[in-house]
Order: sequence, then C-alpha cells, then structure tokens
Amino acid sequence: MDGFGTDCHATTVGFTVLTINPRGDDGTVGSGPSAPVLELRHVAKSFGHVVALRAVEMRVYSGEILALVGDNGAGKSTIVKILAGVYQPDDGEIRVRGTVVRRMNPRMAGLSGISTVFQDLGLVETLDVATNMYLGQPLTRFGIFAKRAAMYRGAAITLRDLQVRVPSVRIPVAELSGGQRQSVAVARAILVDHPIVLMDEPTAALGVRETRQVGKIIDNLKDMGKAVVIVSHDLEFVLEHADRVQAMRLGSVRGVRRRRDFNREEIVGLITGLVAGDDPSQARGDHLEVRS
Amino acid sequence: MKERLASPEGVPAREAKRAQSAPIAAGSDVAEVALPATAIAWHEKAKGSASLAVFAVIVAFTLVGFTRSDQFYNYLTWSNILTTGSFTGIVACFEGLLMIGGGLDLSVGSAFLAGVMSGTALSYHGWNDFVAFGAAAGIGAGIGLVNGLIVNYGHIASFITTLGTMFAIEAIVVTLTGGQPIGPLSASFTRVGDGSIGPVPIMLLYMVGIALCAHVVLEYTTLGTQIRAIGGNREAASATGVNTQRLSTILYVLCGLFAALAGVLQASYLGAGDPTLGASLNLQAIAAAIIGGVSMYGSIGTVIGIVLGSVLLSVLTTGLILMRINPGMQDFVVGVVLIMAAGADRMRRQRMIRVSRARQIEIDEGAAT
Repeated sequence: MDGFGTDCHATTVGFTVLTINPRGDDGTVGSGPSAPVLELRHVAKSFGHVVALRAVEMRVYSGEILALVGDNGAGKSTIVKILAGVYQPDDGEIRVRGTVVRRMNPRMAGLSGISTVFQDLGLVETLDVATNMYLGQPLTRFGIFAKRAAMYRGAAITLRDLQVRVPSVRIPVAELSGGQRQSVAVARAILVDHPIVLMDEPTAALGVRETRQVGKIIDNLKDMGKAVVIVSHDLEFVLEHADRVQAMRLGSVRGVRRRRDFNREEIVGLITGLVAGDDPSQARGDHLEVRS
Repeated sequence: MKERLASPEGVPAREAKRAQSAPIAAGSDVAEVALPATAIAWHEKAKGSASLAVFAVIVAFTLVGFTRSDQFYNYLTWSNILTTGSFTGIVACFEGLLMIGGGLDLSVGSAFLAGVMSGTALSYHGWNDFVAFGAAAGIGAGIGLVNGLIVNYGHIASFITTLGTMFAIEAIVVTLTGGQPIGPLSASFTRVGDGSIGPVPIMLLYMVGIALCAHVVLEYTTLGTQIRAIGGNREAASATGVNTQRLSTILYVLCGLFAALAGVLQASYLGAGDPTLGASLNLQAIAAAIIGGVSMYGSIGTVIGIVLGSVLLSVLTTGLILMRINPGMQDFVVGVVLIMAAGADRMRRQRMIRVSRARQIEIDEGAAT
C-alpha cells in the first residue's frame, strides 16, 4: 500500500454495520482522513416494474480501487450511471466528501470531481480523438472559442503518457479499433484529473495486452491518490487490481471483501447466490427498518 | 499479413493500407511512443471533402453551360443565380446546422412564408422597416421555438412535429392574408433586399455574412463541437454535461428565425408579399444541405458545403432552363444529384467502419505474434 491503501482505513461498508462488523464502525461520515470520498446510502432505482437497485450502500476512499462485481442485471452499471448523473436515484442519497449531492446530473458529477468511463464508452464516433477527450471540458479562448491546437497537443500528451497509441488525435473515433476506443475513453476520464474515477467494464473490448495496459493505468490512478470504482465481469482482472470487491446480485449488495480476504470461490458464490450474502435481509430491502 | 488483410475478412487492401500507414498497437509495451498528433495530409482531407466535390460539379456544369448557351456569359444570369441561391443558402445554413445537430425541420418553407407575409403586411400598413424585419424574424424564431419545444421536451419525432407545423402555419398565414398578395411596398423596404454593391448582388453579401457567422460557430467554437456531439451521440453529449434539449431547441429557433428573415428579404427583393412563396423551400433547403455533405445521420457537414449545395441547386435549375432542357427533366436531375450525395454520405461512413475493422485485425495479429 502506498500510504493511501485501504488497509489504513478501519471502516467497511455501511450496510454490514448492524450485523457483521464487530469493530463497531458506526457508519458516520466525518471529515477525517478515513472518511469515504464517495458514498451511496440506501440508493434504490427502478425502471418501470424492473427493480435495478434496492437500498444499495457503497463507499469508496481516496487511493483505493473498489470493484463492483456481479452478473448481468446485478445493478453495477446502474450504480455507475447514477453516480455519473445519467440516472436519478428513486431513493437514497449520494455523498461526495461527506456532502449530500441533492440533484446529481452529468455537470454536477463533473463539478463534484467525478469522471466516468462508460461501458458504451460515451464517445461521439464522428468527432476526432482529441475533441472526444475534451468533450465536456474544452479548452477555450474567451470562453467560447475552442483552442483546437492546444487540445490536440494535450490529448496527444495524455495518450503518450498512458502509452496509448493511436494513428493521430485528429482522426474520427469511428476509425479506431475497439481497444483504441477504450483507451481514448479512459484517457478522457484521466484528462480532467478528477479525484474520483468510475469505470464501467474498462476491459470489455480488449485483448490480453491491452487489458494489462488498462490495469497499469488503473493502478497508476490509485497511486495518484484517486478513488477508483471499476465495474467488471473479468474476475481475474478485478482480483489482481482491486483493493476491495463489492459483490452484487439482483440489485442488492451481497458482500464486500478486502484484498487480504479475497477468495475467488466465495466471491463467485456471492455473485451467483450459492453463498449466502452477508446480510440476507439486504435482498429484501427490509434492513432499512433496522437501520437508524 | 497484407494478404490476409486484403482477402478473407473482406477488408479491401486500401483500408488495410490506410490502417497500416500509421502502425499502432494500443497498449503496447513499447516505452517510447511517438507523439500521436500527426496532421492529416491535405490530399486525405480533400478525398473526403463534399464541398470540393460539389464545387467541382458546379465548375463542370458551368463549363458545359458555356458551350451550350450564350446566356452563361451574361452578368445578369449570374446575378440571378447567386441571388436565388442566396435565399436558399440562408435557410439551408441553419437547416443544415440543425441536421448536423441531429434535428430536422420541414417547416422552414412555412416559416419563410410567415416572414414574407408578416414583414410585408407591417410595411404595407406603415410600420417602419426595422419593425417589419424584426417582427418577421421574431415570428420565425417563435415558430422555431414551438418546433424545438415539441421535439425536445414533448419527445415527438422532428419529422412529424415539423410536418405538422408546416401545415398549420401555412393555414394560418393563408387565412390571415386571405391568400392575396400584399403590395406595393415602400421604396425603403424594397431597397433592403434589392440592388448590389458594385457588381455583387446585395443578397449574396447577406448570405455570405450569415453563412460566415454560422461557419465560425460550427468550426471554431465549443458550441459548434457540442452541436456535432448531440448530432453524433446525444447520450454521450448529455453525459459530458451538454444540455442537449436546450441546445437542440436553440437550433430550431435559429432555423425558424433565419427562414423567416430570408422570407422577408425575398419579399423586399421582389417588392411584394406573395403567399405562394416558400412552398418548394422545405425540401430545397434539406436537399442543399445533403448535397453539400451534411449527413442524414447528423454530426457531419460544413457550412461551406451547404452554401455550395445551395448554389449548385440554383445553378442547375437556372442552367438547365438556359440549356433548353425540358423543364420536366430539371427535377429529375436535382433528384439524381440528391441521391448521389446521400450515397456519398453513406460511403463515407462505411469507409470509417472498414478502416476500424482493418485496424482491429492488425492489432489482433500483432498480439498473436
């Protein structure tokens, strides 16, 4: 750990408070060094009759990588989209550095220091690489004119620092390979230098080498003291890079494990439901009544 | 490797070559990486430029015209062609901008007509020109606002919404004016759109000025980038904090505003308000934009292309008359040009996909070896 790692935090995830946390973490949010930089409390979200999230809790600290794992429909991507301000939660609250963010939207997420790499990448295919990287955070002259040359340069330097190779930052994203698009999407999230980075399936479209490269980038982000949330199907990747793993199933949190407690079989069990969750009531959402 | 790229995956050799010309291996272990800001060569840009193609067609058609009709040597012919093209051009600029932003407005002809009739009616009844032009533009903006609000906040498809407003506005205008032309108009009113500065028709200057503004906005401002972004991937644009609904609504407002302004300028040019004006403009504006390289799928297109598309339409319609081609066949020619332009748009997009695929194969092979 680099002084920022999770091991220095004597806290764990909120919903386990009443049942399994013997150390008496009271779940309160303070302003001390161990306070979570990003927190979800009782967040629920439905799409029509489909319940995507029920009373989900999540905490992320600076300088750590939290991985959300789960099967399709577990609600991982929904969490990312809520944090990015794309979806509004039906219930619950989002706290950034202890402050409740009442109405999260993409702009607010940016102002709160959250940047996101979406699973569908969120790139505009017809725009060039540099313009995509600066979309939503353009360099401007007099506030309205785009400083294109500076953006081309900045994009090129960022990509070079990440050791990502694209033929040119001036070609449209539509002409890139899957891995290159992924790299551009990751580079865009890094370009802003926000303290919180969310990544939805960062390795989905990638080959072995490209996956290793993205892993390196994620580790770098952690070393820079950023809080990183990754959503991934790739359990090997997750176990290699994450400091904590939060297992989700059918819209509920089934358990959170720290690096030293990683047990592949148990995590797979939590994901598939073969291993009972830490708090069975979580699945029904009735722990809400238990909590104060 | 070249052979494999060229044949079984169905990637033609030239795309493979294009992908290879700057070899890449995303996430390679190479520590030293070249600065990937390489400029695109001018001939690569020119190859994909719709404006250049349209310009070439205009030149070619004109050259043929010189051999077929003496009228092509006449200054008045060109003054007429460029003035007619200017009216279409002003409307098409903002129709095109809207299409680049992923919208569509079929009601520009009606907004144009509303501009014609409201401007002339006010001028006829003694209001000063400033009020007449301002009110016409304001009415156009109002029509655009209604379109924009219904499409973006009412979530009704732009095609249907603007088709509806097209009929509705035309009906209102015809009812209010009784379908009668308005005129004659004061000399000061007609001076605005008629005449020329030196040999250059004043309408052409208006159009160039307006188009220049649109060009600067689209190419040099962050707003222009946002317009392309909402046309290319609305969700992605929204996720980066662009207020997509508001921006799209603004584009509808501009579209209506400049359509009506072009209308009142044409009334000024003609010296009367004719309720039959603008009928063909709906499709002409869209055709000019597409001929000029605006993509039907949004995001792609330039103002220069749109202006050249408008001029080409005007050159074709006037030129074919001068060449004594059967008037019935004029629309045929315009139709063929339109479909060819749409085909070019599709080919452009297909090429992007092929280049991407060639690149993917190369990376896969690089990882395998």
